[in-house]
Amino acid sequence: MQKTFRILTFLVMVCLVGSLLTTAALAKEKVKVAFIGPLTGGVSANGIGGRNSAQLAVNLRNADPSAKYEYEMISLDDECKPNIGVQVATKAAADKHVIAAATHYCSAVAMGAVGTYNKFGLPVIVWGAVLPDVTYGNDYKEVHRVNGTMINQNQVAAKFMRDMGYKTWVIIHDTTDYGKGHNTYFTKELEKVGGKILGRFGVTADQQDFTAELTKVKQLNPDVVYFGGLTNIGVRIRLQMEKLGVDAQFQGTSGIKSDAFLNTLGPLSEGALSFQEGAPIDKLPGGKYFTEQYDKAGFERGHEAYGPFAFAAMNLILDTIEDVGPNRKKVRKSLNKVNGYESIVGEISFDDHGQNKVAAITKYVGQDGKWVVWEDSEYGNGKRKLKKL
Amino acid sequence: MSNKIASPSLPISLAVIALGTAFAILFLGAENEYLIGSLLVFVTLAVVASSKFNILNRMYATFAVHEVLMQAAIVVATLLLVAWFYDDHFSLLMITAAMVYAIAAIGLNIQFGYAGVLNFAGAAFLGIGCYTSAVLGQYTNLPSMLILCLGGLVAAVIGTILILPVLRTSGHYAALVTIAFSILFKTFLEVNDVLGGPQGLNVKPTVLFGWNFNTNIEIRDEFEASFYLCYALLALFLLALAFIFTRRLERSWIGLSMDSIRLDETASACYGLNIALWKSVAFTFGNFLIGVAGAMYGQMLGYVAPSNFTFGDSLILVSIVLLGGIGNPWGVITAASIVILLPEKFQIIQEYRFLLYGIVVIFILLYRPKGLLPRQLRNYLPGGMKA
Repeated sequence: MQKTFRILTFLVMVCLVGSLLTTAALAKEKVKVAFIGPLTGGVSANGIGGRNSAQLAVNLRNADPSAKYEYEMISLDDECKPNIGVQVATKAAADKHVIAAATHYCSAVAMGAVGTYNKFGLPVIVWGAVLPDVTYGNDYKEVHRVNGTMINQNQVAAKFMRDMGYKTWVIIHDTTDYGKGHNTYFTKELEKVGGKILGRFGVTADQQDFTAELTKVKQLNPDVVYFGGLTNIGVRIRLQMEKLGVDAQFQGTSGIKSDAFLNTLGPLSEGALSFQEGAPIDKLPGGKYFTEQYDKAGFERGHEAYGPFAFAAMNLILDTIEDVGPNRKKVRKSLNKVNGYESIVGEISFDDHGQNKVAAITKYVGQDGKWVVWEDSEYGNGKRKLKKL
Repeated sequence: MSNKIASPSLPISLAVIALGTAFAILFLGAENEYLIGSLLVFVTLAVVASSKFNILNRMYATFAVHEVLMQAAIVVATLLLVAWFYDDHFSLLMITAAMVYAIAAIGLNIQFGYAGVLNFAGAAFLGIGCYTSAVLGQYTNLPSMLILCLGGLVAAVIGTILILPVLRTSGHYAALVTIAFSILFKTFLEVNDVLGGPQGLNVKPTVLFGWNFNTNIEIRDEFEASFYLCYALLALFLLALAFIFTRRLERSWIGLSMDSIRLDETASACYGLNIALWKSVAFTFGNFLIGVAGAMYGQMLGYVAPSNFTFGDSLILVSIVLLGGIGNPWGVITAASIVILLPEKFQIIQEYRFLLYGIVVIFILLYRPKGLLPRQLRNYLPGGMKA
């Protein structure tokens, strides 16, 4: 027995020494970048899609003979939990060989981790978290974001609706973070383009009856009812609007862009508007190229909605490193100045908070029981008309 | 609890601790999958070998005889470990996180292991500690150490709400009460704007004698240590305090009463023990420790959000106690290190890491169904059990 044990111990020591040697042998000129997203847990599909997309960007760059460096991407799992997020952020940021990172799908995690990036001076580009405060809640020069936020969504929405000729609004929003955020930012953006808000109603996320609010809305007679909230109460409000005879255009946010909204409402969903960050993959400037490459790479799972953003974020990081060299400070400075950078999700320009100013927002309209991109819809080309126009 | 009689041996025990420290240093520093894999294989073999040579039982015996010395040896070993990684932020963060979870699990151990009060809301009490230090740090100028205590106090006070339902029910039903509280707690935080809603709150760092724990320690440009070093030392200090306290508690007549209540309520009541009193004491004191751990965790991470404190996180705390061996603080500390560090080391296999981690835990329990280090016979006095 003792003999077998000795042999086993010897074997383990050989393994140990062997693995140490292989690490040393591989030491070539390499640049490390990191990816952080939720790889396990409830939203892991999005995280894995983002990881694959970022990996694709790195693989394509490594296959390119004109690239100056060989890139290695380490990907870390934040589990969509802020405490784990801070841990992995520390892991990436404390590793001096990691030059930059594409980080976070979950807003709460991003909020927790941005302080860590600032503390360690690691430049990052957020690829999925949508909460405005991730970039606007601080002055961290390290933090950037390629995807849009509620702010961009409402900016596009307000401008679009004013351009259509609408003048007066009533806002109904749920009292969650989501609804309240939309209320604030839509109001702000609407003031800029000169629309008028006649009334404002906060409703709880499980409210059933909206007769009181809608009777008041009918009295105010706005052109548009703006609804900031999710599908379930959106459906109820739209139904009860009809019952009470509120004849206003229904404008929603990304929260109602679901098939459930259309299926439950049936014909009543006709002409409902919704705005969402990102775009269907075939509408993106580089969408075709991206899907081709993604399919060719043979990943097991799909890239999901934010995959292209992760790809674009990683590509921007790699381009910047190619440009200024693998130095965190230089990369950060260069990223702060990004203006008019061409990516597969469209042009990227960072404002002084590192937020992409020209984030892709897509307008959708309910048409024959489907969400159709506004420009392709019969409403867009004038065949059908929205209410009160 | 093995029936084999093992003789204590100081040299062997000290050697095992030294080896354990060396292993921890290697494991924490390991970055590539082969090294981590071989280390895991190595530790499995080491454990198999030590049970062959009856080393674990000899360790137990040594601990019983030279208790203070052995405990000091482990503190020194931890200090060495912390010193080794003095400038490695990440490793220090992980060591500290493991210690914080160990403090919380020791609190849970008093409830579970001593008095037999089930608590599936550990993460909620951890959260109460975190939020207390967030709110107090933001609105008051109280010293950090006081905030740590208050974190524990608030957790204990809020825990008293649960005492009545927990005492009235028993077994599975008491567990259900705490599960409900755990879910309620998270929902409450999410809808409550004053506490930051789902976005969470920033937490001020620990400040002690004017020294901000979030600044790196620098001595004349030549020496620079990670700011997590302070947190690691603070966590070690708190862990030692918590450990000493539970050990004293366990050995006192209070611990004896608790054990008796856990084993047979009716018999204890017949002998005149106040069951409600000792269950409440265990529950409250356990929550206090969890709250202190939470307050410290919050100050270290600098940020709290409700999604840190889900029912799943409560289960992790419970699993630490079960994996370590119910009732043994040493087991709890060992298990906390495994539960915190192992998934982190499995980051290299990305989305499959929890799969592998789950398998490892199942295997441990398969071969050690009473946990890693099951509770030993009561030892009334240090060194009292001379072999």
